[in-house]
Amino acid sequence: MKSIEHLPKVAGIGLRLPHMREMVATRPQTGWLEIHPENFLANPHAAELLLVLSQHYSISVHTVGISIGSTTGMDRLHLKRIRTLVDTINPIFVSGHLAWSTYGSDYLNDLLPLPYDAEALRLVAAHVRELQDFLGRPYLVENPSSYVGFRTSTMRETEFLSELVSRTGCKLLCDVSNAYVSAHNMGYDAHQYIDGLPADAIAEFHLGGYTPEEDEANPSGELLVDTHAAAIAEPAWDLYAYAIRRFGPKPTLIEWDNNVPPLAKLLDEAARAGKIASTAWEAHCAAAR
Amino acid sequence: MPQLDEIQSLFHRAVLTADTSRLVSLLCGGRFPEKRFAVHKRHYETSLVTTILAKFPATAWLAGTRFLTEAATRFVHECPPATPCIAEYGRGFPKFLSACPAAERMPYLHDFAELEWCVGQVAIAVDEPPVSATQMSTISPDTLPDTLLTLQPGVCYLQVSWPVDELIKLYLKDSAPDHFAMDPLDISLELQGARGEFHMNRLAVAEFMFRKSISQRRSIEDAAERALELEAAFDPGQALAALIAAGLITAVTQGAEGSKT
Repeated sequence: MKSIEHLPKVAGIGLRLPHMREMVATRPQTGWLEIHPENFLANPHAAELLLVLSQHYSISVHTVGISIGSTTGMDRLHLKRIRTLVDTINPIFVSGHLAWSTYGSDYLNDLLPLPYDAEALRLVAAHVRELQDFLGRPYLVENPSSYVGFRTSTMRETEFLSELVSRTGCKLLCDVSNAYVSAHNMGYDAHQYIDGLPADAIAEFHLGGYTPEEDEANPSGELLVDTHAAAIAEPAWDLYAYAIRRFGPKPTLIEWDNNVPPLAKLLDEAARAGKIASTAWEAHCAAAR
Repeated sequence: MPQLDEIQSLFHRAVLTADTSRLVSLLCGGRFPEKRFAVHKRHYETSLVTTILAKFPATAWLAGTRFLTEAATRFVHECPPATPCIAEYGRGFPKFLSACPAAERMPYLHDFAELEWCVGQVAIAVDEPPVSATQMSTISPDTLPDTLLTLQPGVCYLQVSWPVDELIKLYLKDSAPDHFAMDPLDISLELQGARGEFHMNRLAVAEFMFRKSISQRRSIEDAAERALELEAAFDPGQALAALIAAGLITAVTQGAEGSKT
C-alpha cells in the first residue's frame, strides 16, 4: 500500500463505467479515483482502461461483494480475483461494508444489515482478520446506511465498529451520508454518531446522494434511501464539515452510481467537498488557537 | 433468541420470496419495520432487473420491454446471482426466457437472446497479439496434428436455428421494416469482438466445427476429423491458414508436454 505521505489531499470521485473513455481521453484533475472491483473483474476492456488510469491517478478499491458479515463465509474465488486486481494496481485503500450480501450460493446484490451483538462481532472480526491477512494490507470498513435494525442488538453501531477496530486493527471508512441517512431513519442524532466513532481509525470519508421517499413504516414520515442517484444534500454537507472538525481532513470520495451525471458534475461535487473541508478545518484550527 | 445464521436465512428467504412472516418480529425501525424491509427487497429486484434489461436491450426491442421486464423479474427471484460480479449475471436468461409461456409465439427468441448475450461478452474482450504465419511454420509436421491452439478471447461460436443475425442487424442499424419475414434456418455464426466493437460471420458448417473444436482446446487433428465428418471435401490445411490469416490464433501448445509458444 502507498504510504500515508502519498494519500490524496483533495477529494476524488467514484469511477463509473460510463465515464471510463472520457477519463482516459481527457484525464481531468481530480484527487483520486475509487472503483468497485466487481465492475472490472469480468470486463477485460474496462480493466484495461483502468490500468491506463492507474498510471495517472491514485486508485482506491471499494468492494461491494465481499460480504464480511455472511455466516456462510466469504467467497474465496471472489477474494482471489480481488487480490489479483489489488496486486496489479496497488491501490491506496481497499475497503468494503459492514454488511452481508451472500447466503450460501446466492448473492443478494444488496448491503444487508447485521444485528450488533457478540456473535456478529466475532464473525465479522474473524472475516476482517482473514481478509487483511489474505490481501496483506489493512481493510477499511464502511458504516452502512440503515432502514431496519434488530431487536436482538446489544450494542450501538459505533460501539460495534470501535470493538471491530480494537480486535482487528482495521481502519474505518466514515460514509457521512450513510451516517446522516441512518440517523434520520433510525431516529438518533447524527452528530452523536460521528462523536462515537474512534477518531484514530478514520481513514477516509464518503459522500453520496440520497433520495427521500414516503416512509410507509411511519405514516406521514420520510425515509431516506441511500440511492447514490442525486447530488449531495445540504444536511450531509453540514455533517461532513462537522466530521472534518472532529477527525481532521481525510481523503474524501464522491459517490454517484445511478442516474450517473456528466463527469463535470462529479468533479464539481469533489471540488465543493475540498472547499468545505478546507473551510471547516481552518475554522476548527483557528478556534483551537 | 435466533442465531445469526437463522436471521440471515430468514432475510434470504424474505428477499427472494417476500415471505417476511418469521423475520418481522426480529426487526425494528418505525412502527411497521416490515415496510422498511421492503427497501431491501426492492433494491435486490430493481438492481438486478435493471442489469438484465441493460444486457438485453435488443431482446427488449424485439419482444417488448414489458414482456422482458416481467420475465426478468421472475428470473431474478428464481435464479439469483451466484457471484458478486454482476457483469457475469444473466447467462441463463435466454433459456429462462424461452421457457416463458408468452414466448411460444416467438420460437426464435432463445436464439436471439443467446446471440445478444454472446455479442455482449465478445464486445468487452481485449484482443491479444496473434501468432504469425512465420511462427506457425516452425511447428514440425510430426507434431502439428496433436497441437492445441488458443484463439482470441473475444471469439465465440454459436449455432442457431433462425437467421437472428439478420434480425439483430436491424436493431443495430435502427432500421426495422414494417414487416420482416423469417423462416427457420440453421446458421453457424462466428462472433469476434474487442474493446467495444464486434462483428459476426456466417461460416460453413464444417469450418464452424473446425474452429469451434479448436476453441474448445481440441487438437488440430481432432478438429479436422470432426469437420471432415460433416463435409468430406473439407480442407484442414486451408482452414488452418484462414485462422492464421484472420489473426485469431494467440498461442500454440505442442505435444503432450504442453510447451507453449
